Amino acid sequence: MSLIEELKQLGVNTDEAIERMNGNASFYERMLVKFAGMMKSSIVQPDFDCNQYADITEAAHAIKGASGNLSVTPIYRAYSEIVRLLRAGQPQQAKEVLDAVLPVQRAIIACIEKYS
Amino acid sequence: MQREKTLLIVDDIEINRMILADAFQDTYNILEAGDGEQALEIIGRRKDISAVLLDLLMPKKDGLDVLRDMNRTGKIKYIPVFLITAADSTEMLLEGYNLGAIDIIRKPFMTQFLQRRVDHIVELYEQRNELEHVVKKQVEKFNRLNRSLVEMLASIIEFRDCESGEHVKRMSGLTKILMTEVGDTYPEYAVREKEIEKIGTASILHDIGKIAIPDKILNKPGRLTNEEFEIMKQHTVKGCEILRSMPNVMDRDIYNYSYDICRHHHERWDGKGYPDGLSGDNISIWAQVVSVVDVYDALTSERVYKSAYDSGTAVRMILNGECGAFNPKILKAFEKIVERL
Repeated sequence: MSLIEELKQLGVNTDEAIERMNGNASFYERMLVKFAGMMKSSIVQPDFDCNQYADITEAAHAIKGASGNLSVTPIYRAYSEIVRLLRAGQPQQAKEVLDAVLPVQRAIIACIEKYS
Repeated sequence: MQREKTLLIVDDIEINRMILADAFQDTYNILEAGDGEQALEIIGRRKDISAVLLDLLMPKKDGLDVLRDMNRTGKIKYIPVFLITAADSTEMLLEGYNLGAIDIIRKPFMTQFLQRRVDHIVELYEQRNELEHVVKKQVEKFNRLNRSLVEMLASIIEFRDCESGEHVKRMSGLTKILMTEVGDTYPEYAVREKEIEKIGTASILHDIGKIAIPDKILNKPGRLTNEEFEIMKQHTVKGCEILRSMPNVMDRDIYNYSYDICRHHHERWDGKGYPDGLSGDNISIWAQVVSVVDVYDALTSERVYKSAYDSGTAVRMILNGECGAFNPKILKAFEKIVERL
């Protein structure tokens, strides 16, 4: 199996993303590697402080944007919701969404790293 | 390969910048900025930016800060800015539009659509900027023609008045200098630079009515009789009649200034001038300024009925009130500029 095939199985809309990159699959794969690096150093962790989370909101917003452009759909959907909840002042609910997406997130990152 | 157009991509996430750069690199030179501060530095330094793709939420200065600064510097008029954002805040997006963003693109975007939208707008801006340049050149040409026409009219009067063409040039130059000094010293009299330029041109026609005054009076070597002086005074009113017959020959503003100056450049601060006996600030500031300049130039020039006074004597005569009463503020400004002449 290829990276693209495996990511498809994890819910990543690779066809849409490659179309976005004008059909350039190798460029897309390079971007995915960068994305994996970005996620590894992310400060958005479930133990964030529920009283002070401006930085978390900003970081989650960045992940939302990048994952959207790469059509990493499970992460994009989850982080869209996380950003919405954080901006609405509901950090506890945001944590629940984050907890739920973490296994999928880890699987996607591991998959990208396996091929990089 | 060097392209003709340059695109500035502003986003704090490298991946987003790279995706956009990849999409546009075939047709644009790509510049990248990781935050608003960097973006403004590049926008301030480069003159060749065709468009900006601007992320909304960024550290240091965000997209709205960049737009505000581009409004302050006027760059927003010439460079189309596309806000590219994952933000959902309607308020922020609306503010972006209000600050002059040409379009808002939501992330995730479809590159092909984005390319088309950017290309179309860049083309439109190029055409508009080119058109503006052409119009500006035409306006400059029109203004030059206008000025030539006004100078030609004034020269005709001067030849009849046995003066050289230098008088109109001195009138125009000194009027602009004094208008500027008066405005700088007394804000209540401040007039925009562009208007001062028009007033300078209009001042040239202050004596156009002299064309209707008989030679024997206009060029009489001695003192005028009371009756002759009454006829001479008519040059203010006759000048307005002449101007009224050619309202469309010159720029509307220059016409209005000319009319006012022509009629009121012999009015005096104490109401003892002519033809309307206006006093104080009922006389427009430009007519008041031209009055002082006209008297100074008449005193320092040779005429058929008198020799020229030196500048110091002329200033002293004006300040002493020997040539009628003038606005004390204008006289103060006049003293200052004469020192510099």
